[in-house]
Amino acid sequence: MIQLILFLFVGALLFSSIFFLSRRNPRTEGSSKVLVEARQALNSLQSGLLPPELVGRIFAREDFEYVANHTPKHVQEMFRKERKRIALAWVDQVRSEVVSLRRFHLGAARFYAKLKFKTEMTLAFDFAALLLTCRALRAFLYMRGPYAAPRMVQTTAAAAARLCDVSEKALAFLTPSPLSTFADRSAGTAQS
Amino acid sequence: MISGPRRLDVQQAADDLRHRTLSDMPRSLDRLIYLASMRDYNTGLYYHDGLASRFSQEVACEALADCHREAFRHLVGCSVEDLVCQMEAYMDSTRTSPSDFVTAWRKLEPYRVAVPVESDPLSAQFLFSSFKIALAILESRLVLHPAGSAA
Repeated sequence: MIQLILFLFVGALLFSSIFFLSRRNPRTEGSSKVLVEARQALNSLQSGLLPPELVGRIFAREDFEYVANHTPKHVQEMFRKERKRIALAWVDQVRSEVVSLRRFHLGAARFYAKLKFKTEMTLAFDFAALLLTCRALRAFLYMRGPYAAPRMVQTTAAAAARLCDVSEKALAFLTPSPLSTFADRSAGTAQS
Repeated sequence: MISGPRRLDVQQAADDLRHRTLSDMPRSLDRLIYLASMRDYNTGLYYHDGLASRFSQEVACEALADCHREAFRHLVGCSVEDLVCQMEAYMDSTRTSPSDFVTAWRKLEPYRVAVPVESDPLSAQFLFSSFKIALAILESRLVLHPAGSAA
């Protein structure tokens, strides 16, 4: 009888372990998908969304002033709508890519980058603050248009760029080592 | 193992293209449209016989793609005022009537197929939006001065 209870107990323990393991989100445990998503998010932020030239151009007041002074009312209205749409798309995409990076830091980063507890806490706070700022900025842009909060736009872009730098270091193991680059170059030289 | 054209060759070919062909096109809009026209819509590959004969087809393709991306980046960085000026000058160079040009561009939106394949979606979206605004400005000028040019 005692043996039966013991077997049942061990069986229940195994079953519950399997149940909880199967319910765990595979994305949080260093899966390659999370890594690929994080790398893509980083590329998208660094080369697509955060370059100062693009951010400066989307929120350029000089365009607004030109349109306000040289075009009829219906064009001004169209300009405001178009710029607002782009500004909202920008902040939405920044937020979405930051969420991807945070997912990587929450799950996979600790397996690949040996971060100190203090660094992890600072990162967690930075991510939370940035996501909150994105929400607030979106509300501002939605209610008052793309020229309502230029400083907030700059702050958001700068904070996202800082997190990109940290993520870049954490994802450094994915980039080819200088040795392989050198080998590639040598191979190219040998061919020519 | 051949991994693709060498970067140095591509740079030389791109410089050659800038020097011989693109130097005749001072505006980024003209360059963008010209370079987009060198691309096969079925494969996304660029072709330029002269450049391919001096370098190789692969190098020429990469060089054209580089110059296309460059023209795109430059155009994304243009102010609305600059874009309107460029469109106006391009419109004059085509020798079509301004109203026909504006109508065709507004309906067909040819600029949508003129961007490089790997361009960042938001930058492309932003450029399309700027073209739309520039066209509206040109159209509003046509309404004010129907007989003459859009200027």
